[in-house]
Amino acid sequence: MRLLVIEDDTTLLESLAVQLGEAGYAVEKAADGREGLYQALEFPIDLAIIDLGLPEVSGLDIIREVRRQGKSYPILILTARDRWQDKVDGLEAGADDYVVKPFHFEEVGARVHALLRRSGGWASSMLEAGPVALDLSRQELRVNNAPIELTSFEYKIIEYLMVRAGQVISKTELTERLYDQDFERDSNVIEVFIGRLRKKIDPDNSINPIETLRGRGYRFALERNQTG
Amino acid sequence: MSSLSARLLVSVSVLLLLFFGVTIFVLETAFREAGEQAQEDILDGHLMALLAAAEPAEEGRLGMPPDLFEPRFGNIGSGLYAEIRDAEGAIVWRSRSALGLEIPVGTVPEDGNHLFLEEALEDETPLLTLALAVQWEFPDGELRPFVFKVAESLDSFNAQLGRFRGQLFGWFALVALIMLLSISVLMRRLLQPLRRIETEIGEIEEGRRAALSDYFPSELKGVARNMNLLIESERARSDRYRLTLDNLAHSLKTPLAALRALLDDRGNGEFVVRSNEQINRMDEIVRYQLRKPAASAAGTLVLAPIEVGREIQRLVTGLHKVYRDKNPRIDVDIDSKVRFRGDTGDFLELAGNLLDNACKWCDSRVAIAISSLAGSNKGEGGLVLTVIDDGPGIPAEAADALLQRGTRLDESTPGHGIGLAIVRDIANSYGGTLTITRSQALGGAEITVAIPPNRS
Repeated sequence: MRLLVIEDDTTLLESLAVQLGEAGYAVEKAADGREGLYQALEFPIDLAIIDLGLPEVSGLDIIREVRRQGKSYPILILTARDRWQDKVDGLEAGADDYVVKPFHFEEVGARVHALLRRSGGWASSMLEAGPVALDLSRQELRVNNAPIELTSFEYKIIEYLMVRAGQVISKTELTERLYDQDFERDSNVIEVFIGRLRKKIDPDNSINPIETLRGRGYRFALERNQTG
Repeated sequence: MSSLSARLLVSVSVLLLLFFGVTIFVLETAFREAGEQAQEDILDGHLMALLAAAEPAEEGRLGMPPDLFEPRFGNIGSGLYAEIRDAEGAIVWRSRSALGLEIPVGTVPEDGNHLFLEEALEDETPLLTLALAVQWEFPDGELRPFVFKVAESLDSFNAQLGRFRGQLFGWFALVALIMLLSISVLMRRLLQPLRRIETEIGEIEEGRRAALSDYFPSELKGVARNMNLLIESERARSDRYRLTLDNLAHSLKTPLAALRALLDDRGNGEFVVRSNEQINRMDEIVRYQLRKPAASAAGTLVLAPIEVGREIQRLVTGLHKVYRDKNPRIDVDIDSKVRFRGDTGDFLELAGNLLDNACKWCDSRVAIAISSLAGSNKGEGGLVLTVIDDGPGIPAEAADALLQRGTRLDESTPGHGIGLAIVRDIANSYGGTLTITRSQALGGAEITVAIPPNRS
């Protein structure tokens, strides 16, 4: 998942970026409203964390512009102004949730998690489809209730695919959204990881959780056990 | 007397009464005096005619021809009488008109003198009399004294005077009425701009107008301009105040957030825990102190009434987004006529904190009801806001502690954060109250805020 963080306090921006990175997200950073707006409109991102009190272009204006241009990814507001007037303004402009400063990183992490999950249409942090269950909060994958060991990149891929269960995800999109910085990685690497995942989740080739659609990409194909 | 026009009308009425009273008195006096003078002249004429007609008769008496020049002397009770008395007061001659009447003798003038008197007949008919004492030289060369007296009843003169007075009063009353009517019409016209200022201020208070219009007479232009400046500066002051608070919040809390983010990297050692505690304290103090003063807008000059239904809908929509996972059912029951006369931010703060707490603590249901406070009129903004939930509720002792004024921040109800303390302070700043009970309907907390009408 690729996140965009727009925050003018560089210490806070760096800390957030590091911690989100450690939590497994690819992070784009912007330290002012103008740069933030550009990235929010032009970069392939899955969620934006936007401070309301930004120089150049205000957080509210960024949110309005993003929504006006039809971008529907979740937006989490960071705000020092925790009056309800500001929260309501932010939510009305198109944000999905807010975190009031000063926050613990866990709080931001939990909100980001929940928003990403909801954007895929999942109501709880336990994503269940057939025998496959992914616990987003514990970052744990189980098949038939048996835990599956995954590398961090394998986890990123299955999380991305399962959150968007049913949607076709192109290799390019996976590359863009999962790699930090470097978009130029060989797409064959993705194929290798998908192959490994299939072996781990479905060693006897019986449930076929990840479909390959030739020329289009991949799709997590199992029916969801619950929907949001 | 609070109305300018009533004051003017009463003053003008008193002045008119005085003016017309004096005028009527002067006119009536002049009329009467002129009338009396004319009456005297007529009596004088009659007397002279009598003198001319009198002839000496035998036994030293005076005689009168039977047909006098004035026919009224010949008609009984005609109102014009004449008699001649001798030195002893005995009647020498009496006009036919005075038949059966007793003309008072009155004072007898000196020889050769006229004497006008106002006297009365026995039946109290007022008379104007003219007496003349003469020495009549008889053919025998003897001078004998006589008193000629003519009298005219004043009945018709008084009736005429009465008619005159009646007409005078009638006309003056009509003129006074016309004047008072014209003055009240004039006042209405003159006071129209003042009424317009009043109306426009009302519209500003109701939020339907931003400033007073320009179309006032030159005398009031200055007032309107100054009023607009005052309103404008009050708005600007309020905005500036809010902006300052926002900037202060931003510049205090962003470094706190950064500090906390730095600490989050350092694990869970004692230093980190202690430091986080201090950050929490600082954060709560900043939040409480920076949010509380928004309520001071209760003293703002211009308070447009807020449609509470719309604001609650905004909050509920927002909260549904935030609590999408929990997805509580939020029932809204708002009397559409209810208005809150105060700062929108304060109202959102009141309702937002209560609804947020309810959503946070509820199991699955929250309800908000807003109705007019009993006894407050439409537009005055008195309201009762109640939020209930089906959560665990607030323990009685915690509620008591919170409701005591001046409860310190760190003593405020745990779990409900500083939200309720802020609600309490905002309610108090509008002269309202906060009560915390257990909901009969849903079993959880029931929090009621009552705001009295703003009759400023």
